[in-house]
Amino acid sequence: MKLDLANPDWRTALPPSRSVVADAPVAACAFSRDGKTVAFALGDGRVRLLPADVKAAAGAAPEPVHKGAVLSLIADPNGDGFLSGGDDGRLLRIAPDGSATEIVSQKGKWIDKLAAHRSNGAFAASVGKMALVVDRSGGCREFGPHQSTVAAVDFSKDGSRIATAHYGGITVWSIGQVTLPPRRFAWAGSHVALKWSTDGKFIATGTQENDIHVWRIAQASDMRMQGYPAKVKSLSWSADARWLYTSAQPVFTAWPFAGKGPEGKPPLQFGEEGAGLITVVAAHPASEFVAGGYDSGELQLGDIKTRRSVVLKMSDGSPVSCLAWSPDGFQLAAGNDNGDLLVIDLRR
Amino acid sequence: MAEAQVPVTVLTGYLGAGKTTLLNRILSEQHGKKYAVIVNEFGELGVDNDLVVNADEEVFEMNNGCICCTVRGDLIRIIEGLMKRKDKFDGILVETTGLADPGPVAQTFFTDDDVKARTRLDAIVTVVDAKHFLSQLAQGDEAEEQVAFADVILLNKTDLVSDDDLEKVEDRINSINRYARIHRTQKSRIELDAILDKGAFDLKRILEFEPDFLHHGHDHDHGDEVASLSFSSDRPVDPDRFQKWMGALLQLKGQDILRSKGILAIDGAPRRYVYQGVHMMMDADWGTPWKDGEKRSSKLVFIGRNLDGENLKRGFEDCLK
Repeated sequence: MKLDLANPDWRTALPPSRSVVADAPVAACAFSRDGKTVAFALGDGRVRLLPADVKAAAGAAPEPVHKGAVLSLIADPNGDGFLSGGDDGRLLRIAPDGSATEIVSQKGKWIDKLAAHRSNGAFAASVGKMALVVDRSGGCREFGPHQSTVAAVDFSKDGSRIATAHYGGITVWSIGQVTLPPRRFAWAGSHVALKWSTDGKFIATGTQENDIHVWRIAQASDMRMQGYPAKVKSLSWSADARWLYTSAQPVFTAWPFAGKGPEGKPPLQFGEEGAGLITVVAAHPASEFVAGGYDSGELQLGDIKTRRSVVLKMSDGSPVSCLAWSPDGFQLAAGNDNGDLLVIDLRR
Repeated sequence: MAEAQVPVTVLTGYLGAGKTTLLNRILSEQHGKKYAVIVNEFGELGVDNDLVVNADEEVFEMNNGCICCTVRGDLIRIIEGLMKRKDKFDGILVETTGLADPGPVAQTFFTDDDVKARTRLDAIVTVVDAKHFLSQLAQGDEAEEQVAFADVILLNKTDLVSDDDLEKVEDRINSINRYARIHRTQKSRIELDAILDKGAFDLKRILEFEPDFLHHGHDHDHGDEVASLSFSSDRPVDPDRFQKWMGALLQLKGQDILRSKGILAIDGAPRRYVYQGVHMMMDADWGTPWKDGEKRSSKLVFIGRNLDGENLKRGFEDCLK
């Protein structure tokens, strides 16, 4: 991985990129498993596909595949296309050519959160108070009902469990053949974001009360980090699970999870201040880099080793709503509330 | 995208009062406006409409130890989701179930920063069943609280009661909440202008009222019943003292004070200071400017239980210059 932020080129010139203007807010973006395609979930029901290669010709805007807004989007773990969920209650498989097939349809429900496991091919969706898990062969199982709508879902590292966020805490469900009773981890209030750590040991949530909560799964012990000026809606674990990055701060903010964990320690903060608050944060899939999008529209790339950061895109007033790294970590996709789609090539 | 805040109308009312009839009319009539409607029972509405969203009235207690700080988390999620749509709305209507406490819905609009940035609580509209209201009052706190929270009341099914009985019902409504605007209706028939996009909790209504500042006999014992009180003064208000007093008052009595609202003339400020509270939560902002030569008077309204008129009056007077 050669992303050298100390290189003066990074500070003087923005990297090569593709910018496309869509007509609706972007809810989510993702790279396909093979890294060849980027997809953007749009508020007009469209899923816009672009070649990851920023110089390749891009196709025209497709017809809408969802009836209302597309609320969630991830790479299809079983192919080179995508999965999308909408406020029309439908979960669709989007082929690399843009054609859509319906997997689930539940009228009146929203499918607003999706997660997949990298290697076992399973994916999970929030559908009202239930979590839905579809395995590699298409077998579908429901977990719940939870006491409130499932606000977020994520897989354990080994893919044998899912964790769901809801009122009053989180629930861990075993999704293997052997059915174990669900484990509840309680913390009062509404939990709105959830990420299972990349080493499988921790589950972090962002809460309605502007703080984050982290459970140590084996010991069932937990910790709370307070003092954020806004809800932490975006959480991202570094590839080596040593750091938990959080949004809702003016600079990159990473809690240290190596060794004894973050208890009693301040978070590591670095990056250029002055561009509002970070709305989305995305750790690099393999190395020490991290991307952050701001409510001002600015995009920064940080390096936690050197504590350096560079601006990838200037503020334009439209909050960054989503970020995604390509599987090889050389490209970054971003979308905003205005409907600007951006793919940046970071190879220099 | 700098967008105007979308007005939100909260629709409450006891079971069978006529909320569904009203919603069906809003959804089916040609009014050239686009409303998103958040309902609890999908099936009840006869209209199949993309703009109808099903919600589960999921209330949670804020994790701050205050038992009346309850919020609708599902509304936060739905409003965030609606804002992702390309097509924007002229308004959002939120229907509550017949037995719901309107507190959590209203408080949602005071609590969540994202919701506050995108929407504003326009008015709480309560549909009252003229025939059954008095008996509903005896069945629990819900019917009374729905009237207490209301900015606008549809006194519905007036064709089913005698004029005398209608007077009685209206008197009872007034004894709970004198500041709500009452429209007499049949089959929930009303001009939508009368209930939608009224603006800032219909604060104008407060100004139309003669306050009971020196008016005695209003402090008689209401017991646990909800009542309303208002105060006014032509002397300017000291903002620091007001904030401090109101903050402490709501902290202490917020469970009993269902609604508080006011328009204040702040010493030396060119604009009105518009204040509103639901239980312990409060919000304030600068309103329209005072006109040249306009009489600058302040008005404050409380709707709740066990209101201590003398004490509130003294507290308000202490905030005056």
